[in-house]
Amino acid sequence: MNESATGSGANIRQINRTDRLKAWSRHHRQLFRSTLSTLLNQPGALLITWLVIGIALSLPILLSLALREISEADTRQVIQPAMSVYLSVPSESETAQALLQRLRASSAVGEVRLITEQAALMEFSSLAGFGDVLNAFSENPLPGIIEVVPRERDGAGIKLLAQQIAGQDGVDQVSFDAAWLERLSAILGILERVLYALGVLFSGAVILIIGNTLRLTIENQRGEIEITKLFGGSDSFVQRPFIYRGFWLGFGGALLAFLIIQSSLLYLSGPVERLAQSYRSNFALETLNFGESIGLFALGALLGILGSWVSVWRYLKQIQPK
Amino acid sequence: MLVFDHVSKRYPNGYEALSDVSFSVEAGEFVFLTGPSGAGKSTLLKMINGVERSSRGQVHVAGKNISRLPARKIPGLRQGIGVVFQNHQLLFDRPVYDNVALPLVIAGMKPTEIGRRVRAALSKVGLTGREGDWPETLSGGEQQRVGIARAVVHRPPMLLADEPTGNLDPDLSREIMSLFLQFSQLGVTVLIATHDLELVESMPARRLQLQAGRIQSP
Repeated sequence: MNESATGSGANIRQINRTDRLKAWSRHHRQLFRSTLSTLLNQPGALLITWLVIGIALSLPILLSLALREISEADTRQVIQPAMSVYLSVPSESETAQALLQRLRASSAVGEVRLITEQAALMEFSSLAGFGDVLNAFSENPLPGIIEVVPRERDGAGIKLLAQQIAGQDGVDQVSFDAAWLERLSAILGILERVLYALGVLFSGAVILIIGNTLRLTIENQRGEIEITKLFGGSDSFVQRPFIYRGFWLGFGGALLAFLIIQSSLLYLSGPVERLAQSYRSNFALETLNFGESIGLFALGALLGILGSWVSVWRYLKQIQPK
Repeated sequence: MLVFDHVSKRYPNGYEALSDVSFSVEAGEFVFLTGPSGAGKSTLLKMINGVERSSRGQVHVAGKNISRLPARKIPGLRQGIGVVFQNHQLLFDRPVYDNVALPLVIAGMKPTEIGRRVRAALSKVGLTGREGDWPETLSGGEQQRVGIARAVVHRPPMLLADEPTGNLDPDLSREIMSLFLQFSQLGVTVLIATHDLELVESMPARRLQLQAGRIQSP
């Protein structure tokens, strides 16, 4: 309304920019609290929505945590424990003992274990069916073996170490399963992509869940929205509470996801550690750290705001007073 | 303050609610809009606050041609117009205070200022101290007075009322009308649509009579 034409009476629209900015931020601060308390008025419905969002967020995160643990270097020991160095000389010989000393001193080598011909024979004959085969030999045909656990984590480094050892005196050949290692990293690569896709899908699901929940709320508040618009509430004014509701739904969902993830990891950690110990590995499931937890909450809040924006804006515009 | 210039409103189904309506209302004037139901009274009011748009002709409010107003300016227009409805249109899940405060919240006023103005508006309509009540615990006349308090709490220069006394008995109706009259004496332009001729005739005010979408000459 034109200020000069309305002359009489106070006109509430004669407020300057600073006041408008203050009013705007006051509305935001007020909504931050009031939307949460409105949501908490229906704790049952809120909890279910939070749970659905929490589950949708926690699944891809749990999977990616598992993948991270598997692909981390330590875990290779579980699957590919060591390389086997076959000796061309008897294990009691000076050459073999010198080799053993050098390997123990090498910084590239983590752990060294000698399996003598005798020990190898015993291990071999304990395997079903081989006992008879060995009886056919008049003397022990098996060479001594040095088991070497490399300190090096990555495939190429392990290969290099294997070549160095193979070139030394008293070494017949070095065997380690390079193909298996390559296959493993290929599989991990595929899993990683599957996880990205899952993450995108589940995030989309969270956005849709929040959008849908908010739409139902809007439907219930149709009358209030119409009245607000009749008294001059703009589209963004009407939308603002729903943005905050979206924020709280997403944030609360992330909080539940956090609880689900941490308790799942604790629940799994015992059995996983026992399994790892059987492989002489210090593999352990790690729970979310501080930064990751903050990231999770931010993700939830962001998805909530996004869900509100994407699905609510056009819908709210359609609601006009009659 | 308000000018209708050869305004027609035709709905998509071909029904013409208003035909070539022209009139003007001065600032601070008190005007009754009469006529039988279906004459176009509600449509006419809705064209003033931008709920409906004219098919032909122009509507000017406070010197602005609102037939050409872009959608983003409509909220600003409406903030300067108080509206009262026949069925009150109160929010029944909110106490009286929240209902009356709505236009002030939209305007972004400070909470302390809102409290002061809400109490002042309620006392003006004779509901002092009732801000904590729930609308459903009030009588029909009280509900309507809450609706009026909400319509004037932000001191709009113009007040529109669509059958504000439609559900009230004659005594209450007169009471409500005298409230509107007081606001017009304070400089507010008041436009009231009603089919209660008895009441209209008892009041010293200008009359615009609508018949089948046309203004009848007085």
